[in-house]
This record gives sequence, C-alpha cells and structure tokens, in this order.
Amino acid sequence: MKKRNPYLTVGLVMTGILTALIVLGFFWTPYDPNAMAAGPKLTGPSLAHLMGTDSFGRDIFSRVLKGAGTTYGIALCTVAVGAVCGTVLGAVTGYFGGIVDDVLMRLGDVLTAFPSILLALVVISLLGPGKTGNVILALGLVFIPSFARMARGTYAGLREVNYVKSARLMGASSSRILWRHILPNTWSVLLPALTIGFNNAVLAEASMSYLCIGVTPPDASLGYMLSESQGMFMSAPWYALGTGLTLVWMVFGVGLIGEGLQRRGGGEV
Amino acid sequence: MRYTARKILTLLVTMLVVSLLTFAAFDMISGDPAATLLGTQATPEKVEALRTEMGLNRPMLVRYGEWLAGFFTGNLGVSFQYRQPVQALLGPKMLVTLCLSLVSFVLIVVVSLPLGLLSANGKLDGLHTFLNQFCMAVPPFFTGILISWCFGICLRAFVPGDFPGLDRNLGKSLVYLFFAAVSIAIPRVAMTVRMLRSTVISEMNKPYVRTAIARGNDRRQVLWGHVLKNSLVPTVTFLGQTMAEIVAGSIVVEQVFSVPGLGRMLVASISSQDYPVVEAIVVILAFWVVLSGTLADLVNRCIDPRMGGIGK
Repeated sequence: MKKRNPYLTVGLVMTGILTALIVLGFFWTPYDPNAMAAGPKLTGPSLAHLMGTDSFGRDIFSRVLKGAGTTYGIALCTVAVGAVCGTVLGAVTGYFGGIVDDVLMRLGDVLTAFPSILLALVVISLLGPGKTGNVILALGLVFIPSFARMARGTYAGLREVNYVKSARLMGASSSRILWRHILPNTWSVLLPALTIGFNNAVLAEASMSYLCIGVTPPDASLGYMLSESQGMFMSAPWYALGTGLTLVWMVFGVGLIGEGLQRRGGGEV
Repeated sequence: MRYTARKILTLLVTMLVVSLLTFAAFDMISGDPAATLLGTQATPEKVEALRTEMGLNRPMLVRYGEWLAGFFTGNLGVSFQYRQPVQALLGPKMLVTLCLSLVSFVLIVVVSLPLGLLSANGKLDGLHTFLNQFCMAVPPFFTGILISWCFGICLRAFVPGDFPGLDRNLGKSLVYLFFAAVSIAIPRVAMTVRMLRSTVISEMNKPYVRTAIARGNDRRQVLWGHVLKNSLVPTVTFLGQTMAEIVAGSIVVEQVFSVPGLGRMLVASISSQDYPVVEAIVVILAFWVVLSGTLADLVNRCIDPRMGGIGK
C-alpha cells in the first residue's frame, strides 16, 4: 500500500540542509557579512571564500547565509500571520455560514484574483516602504484571503458530517468542535497549502527587496543582494549565481515537500 | 445574454469598489498635498487657500466622484514628483507594459499547450514533477539576470538596459521585450503545463473515455475528439489568471531589464511616495486583473453554455 514518495524525502533533505545552514549562520558565519575587505576583492569561489568575494571584498557565502536567514524568517512570520488569521476567519465563517460568510467570501474571491505581489505593493506603499515589520504585515495581510478561502471550503464541507453532528448532540461547544474535531481533519489540505504559501511568501519578499521597497540594508535579504549583484555581474558573476541558486534551492525544496504531502494526502496532483 | 449582462455588471461593481477602496486608502495616508506642494515655509493661510483652490476641503466621496469622472475622461490628476498630468506620464508606459504582457501571454500559450498535452500521456511522472517544481522555483528576476548576461552580453542579441522605444524601433523593441517575456513566462509555463497535465489525466480516467475506447477508438482519437473539449474550460479559467499574474511578473521584470513600463513607474512612485501616480497605476492594473477574469468567464460561457445556469 505504501507507495514510494521521493518528493517528500528529497524536499525534506534539501530544506533540512538549508535550515541547518541558516541556523548556523544565525550564530556563526565564516566572516562578518558586512565587513569590507574580509578577503581580496572579486575573487572567485575558493576554499577560503566558498562563494567568492564581491567588489568590496565582502565574503559572499557569509552574506548569503545571513540573507537567506532574513528571507526565511520573514516568510515564516508571513505564513504564520496569514495562516492563523486566515484559518480562523475561514473556519468561523465556513462553519456558521450566513450573510457575513457570503460577503467575506465574495471579498475573498476578488482579493485572491489579484497577484500577491501587486497587493503587497499597495499595502506596503500605504504602510511606508523599507521596514521589515511592514513587509511582514503587508505580506501577511495579502495571504489571509487565500488561507481563509481554503479553510472555509473544508469547514463548510465538514459542517454536516456525522461526527460533527454527534459531537454537537453531545453538547460540545462550537469552539471545541472547530478546534478539536474539524481542525485535525483539515491537515491534509492545510499542510500543502502552508508550503505553497511559504514559497509565495519567499518569492514575494525577494521580489520586493529586489525592487528595493522591502527589507533594506543592513538586514540584507536574498532579493536585495540579487539587485546588488546585478551591478557587478560582469566582474563577479558568482555573487548573482550564489544568491539566486540559494533562493531556487529554498523554494524548490519546500515545493517538493508540498508535492509530497499532497500525494501522501491522496489529493489531486 | 443575461449571463453576459450579469458578468459585466459584476465587473463594474467590483471596479467601483476597488477604486473606492484605493482612493480612500491613499486619501487617508497621503496627508495634505497642499502643504506638501507649498513646502515648509508656507503660512497656514496660504495652505488653506490652496486647499480651497484644489478642492481638498470637500468631503471625500465628492472628490472620489470627481476623480472617477476624471479617470474616464482621461484626467488622472497631477503627479507630485514630476508636476505633470498623470495621464501624460502613463500613456506611453501603458503601451510598453501592454506589449510586454501580450508577448508573454502568447509565449506562455504557444509553449505550454503543446507541452502540457505531450506530458499528459502519464509517463515519466517523477521527471515531470521535479522539472515542474524546479521551474516554478526560479524567480523571474533571477532568470532575467541570467538572460541579460547570456543573450545580452555574451550573444549580443540585445543591449541590456537600453530599451530602444516602441516608436523608434519596433522590431528591436519587440526582441528586447521577448527576452523579458521569457523570464516572466518560465514559472507560468510550468504551472500551466502542470494544470493541463492533471486536467487531461483526470479526464482520461472518466467513464466516457472508457466507453469511447471500448467502442474501438484509440487514445489519440479520444484525446483530440473528446477530452480536449472538456479540458478547455479549466484551461481558459487558468489562462485568465495567467493574464493577471503576468502583470505581477512584469512589475519585477521591467525593473530587471529597465523596461520603461507601468511596473517600473509604480515601483519608482512608491519609493518617492508620489500617490496620484501610484493610485492611477493601481487602478489600471486592478482593472486589467478583473477584466481578464471576466473575459475568461465569458469565453467559457461560449465554450460551455451550461455554465452560469445553476449555481455560479
């Protein structure tokens, strides 16, 4: 019965390696990521500088570790905000129904039609660009409707299922039914959605910092570093490659986890 | 007919709500344009006079009505930064973004439809999935940087950062936009192929296909004769979403390739807090998004007249 699921394994290994490196980079990096002249300028990858150095002589590997940490952290916070608020909202409206449900879901339909980066840009221009907290808030807000829609669908579908009915007959409170009875049965939908949300958050954050309206230095994120590396692509192509490939690695790994989870849950591919 | 009318009505209402929200949001944060225009040396009387002159002391809804009327008559206000009418600033940029979006869209359709059908034979599932996830993981701005280097600097197919301009050299501009479109298209092609593949495979498992095969048709005949038609509706819906996503992609990719389009203008105006411009661009892009959704619905209605009868 148990089918091989290489996606989950490969994805977990890739994400595991990256997470370990990021945690490591949180406490220790080979060089100070912002120190000028940590080594000779514009040297290619070597044992002393795994990803080479840029035109200021900064060690790119150290910078990538820190930058990946920023991107990763922001994406996690964003997904947490979006998933918690969205799921609560979707669960309550989906379970109780009524006019609030209709209105909110119509609004959700409209909002999810918009590309997340566009919405995030609008929110960030309202909040003021260039602050990490604002980036998290903007992206988190943007991801609420999609989580709400998903949670609403599952909760509305499970509202009249027998085990929910019997729990209700036994006098369980609504919050207990929502939390203890229905939520565990939504994991197979929720978990893949979390991975997709995480990837969207990583890409949106990286895009915004690439456009220099997301996180600003000194908290370099991978997106900002890519925009920085574009200027020195001719003299230090390893900067762009190292940064970009780390980003691809991050999204690819989590994407594979999502794929694996979806298949394990028996969902549609 | 009733369906079309209802869809168009929904479109208009949605646009009205979206533009009202945008207007209200930017009205709230943009502070006092009169004070901004006059600078720090202005006396309160002067600011008040300019406020009256600009009509800022009237209720927000009245100003919204005026702004909306202006939007349809081609009067979008004056940019804080450039002191020029917004419509004059945006006109040529809109054309560039429209071209970029159309090139990307055509590219996505031309590449992903055949690939999706080819991959739908159900073989090599693992390879497809890995390749798909990989393509989706590559951010457009990274592809953009690699393309500028490979095709721009090494192969000299175009000069990165030097957009020729549509009116000056159409051919060269289209080549330039083509490379930008490739970086927008790659992740979207992966998504479209994936969607098409799973749609066709799930159609192929339905009873009518089994019946058709039992009657002596081969897989190819069933695929072209029956399955394709039935897969068309989700595909059109997906392509509608793609139109919207392309706009998002172009915001970033215009920056990578220095294409002077709406996206680049939007980013620059957000940085310089030039709210009339941001507002106008947001509403234009929003209109594009909502319009592409509605178009997809209307096309689907033509394909499958049962739609919109019951339920949706």
